[in-house]
Amino acid sequence: MSSNNMADPRRQNKILRYKPPSTETNPTLEDPTPDYMNLLGMLGMIFSMCGLMLKLKWCAWIAVYCSFISFANSRSSEDTKQMMSSFMLSISAVVMSYLQNPQPMSPPW
Amino acid sequence: PTMRSAYLLLIPALLLLLALPVSRGRYNDDFDDGEDLADFDDNDFAEFEDMNDDPAAEAETAPPPRVSPSSQPEEDEDEDEATVELEDGQDGFEDSETQDQDIYSKYDQEEFEGIGDMEKTGHSMKDPLIIHTVPAHLQNSWESYYMEILMVTGLLAYIMNYIIGKNKNSRLAQAWFNSHRELLESNFALVGDDGTSKEAVSTGKLNQENEHIYNLWCSGRVCCEGMLIQLKFLKRQDLLNVLARMMRPACDQVQIKVTLNDEDMDTFVFAIGTKKAMARLQKEMQDLSEFCGDKPKSGAKYGLPDSLAILSEMGEVTDGVMDNKMVHYITNHADKIESIHFSDQFSGPKVMQEEGQPLKLPETKKTLLFTFNVPGMGNTSPKDMDTLLPLMNMVIYSIDKVKKLRLNREGKQKADRNRARVEENFLKQTHAQRQEAAQTRREEKKRAEKERIMNEEDPDRQRRLEEAAQRREQKKIEKKQMKMKQIKVKAM
Repeated sequence: MSSNNMADPRRQNKILRYKPPSTETNPTLEDPTPDYMNLLGMLGMIFSMCGLMLKLKWCAWIAVYCSFISFANSRSSEDTKQMMSSFMLSISAVVMSYLQNPQPMSPPW
Repeated sequence: PTMRSAYLLLIPALLLLLALPVSRGRYNDDFDDGEDLADFDDNDFAEFEDMNDDPAAEAETAPPPRVSPSSQPEEDEDEDEATVELEDGQDGFEDSETQDQDIYSKYDQEEFEGIGDMEKTGHSMKDPLIIHTVPAHLQNSWESYYMEILMVTGLLAYIMNYIIGKNKNSRLAQAWFNSHRELLESNFALVGDDGTSKEAVSTGKLNQENEHIYNLWCSGRVCCEGMLIQLKFLKRQDLLNVLARMMRPACDQVQIKVTLNDEDMDTFVFAIGTKKAMARLQKEMQDLSEFCGDKPKSGAKYGLPDSLAILSEMGEVTDGVMDNKMVHYITNHADKIESIHFSDQFSGPKVMQEEGQPLKLPETKKTLLFTFNVPGMGNTSPKDMDTLLPLMNMVIYSIDKVKKLRLNREGKQKADRNRARVEENFLKQTHAQRQEAAQTRREEKKRAEKERIMNEEDPDRQRRLEEAAQRREQKKIEKKQMKMKQIKVKAM
């Protein structure tokens, strides 16, 4: 490789620190999944509230799945607190549905 | 004939009955048959509660011996479980009949009224068999919770996939870094920086942004400001994504962005990559759409494979970039190259301009962008990362080359004209908007001044300021009139 013939290309004085890229340019470059993930998070919350209020077991289970999926797809910049809260809410929806009504869930068909 | 049909009905009833104690043996002990009988069937047996204890007891001795031989064939008869009423009275046809007769003969005709009726009703009762199914909430078996078990299994599968996917991505990232570390460390003074530490010291490791994106910032080299490498892996940690990829295969990508100082690059815009990528970039990227207006051309002239297309500002640029070594690199690794984009006017993708947005030309930066596809189409192993090393060599070579590449006089003139043209277009488009903005600014100034005058306490000062403002207005009007006169003269 030609770099072996030349002098050492490294220059200590030319070091520039890393600046995390600004969020203005990034959203357009990133794929559209962040929008879906926000929607999914909201959906998870809505389903868990439905499951709690209307005592629908399948709502609560879907909420658990939603919160898992949005957790797996989250970016590090997003708030972990929100993830944890939606997760806890969905788990509590499932537990409450079963405490109130220990019957097994009947399939919709 | 009625007895025969009842007999036929009784055979399945018997089978079901035998299945019942097999599956819920414990349940029978808890169940008080006599009481339940009273609940379920109050037209026939309700009044004869006491009497039914004996036949119940005798009937129960009959089923247990019969349970063991015929338990095996009736494994899953849980669906239609017979009521206790059947178990009690219709256990074995012949036996129950004889039992009934025995029982009835025991009782004194006088003591129990209507015994004969009972015989008759006993017979008639055998015809209409009402088989109730035990509601799900009364069944105490695990099988009735099959939906829940399914759900939990699904969740466990998702969690396992999350862990496996996360680890795979992490291993791939580490393998990439291990194979590229030496090359990077010999070329850059700073390898790895997350921007948080006080001193500019190499962290020497990748910066994990999330489960599928890893960053690496390298800096401290001649000919460039710095290089940001992004390992964009597939979302292996998300099961939905994994399933979606089974329909639509995708591959991991390595994106490299080298930012240059002004003196490191001459003014040109150039891109090469797969035909699809070129079409997309030409539409999306601000600089490519403005400076490379022609459709992507084939690179066959330089010996490049047909799968690649070139977007260039002018022919001289392509000739300059595509020297033998670059052609060699690209031809050998064409399958891994998604796009290569050199630009001195790079400002990212086109931004959707909203109405009333501030209207400056977007900021540009001299940049080299490389997007490489990791071979394997998703099923990559850590060993595949070594095959990307020659591409990193190409990146380093490009940095040095771009520094040396200078357009000749003609090319430079063309490039300057292009840039001026683009700027002019931009200004024209936004002319109306800029005028409006200037107008509003002027009005704001006037209003502010008027307010100042109004707020001035001293009447003398007020008068003086007003006069000054009036004089200024007059001057402006005069200037405008002069200009109009000059233009008219020129036109003539």
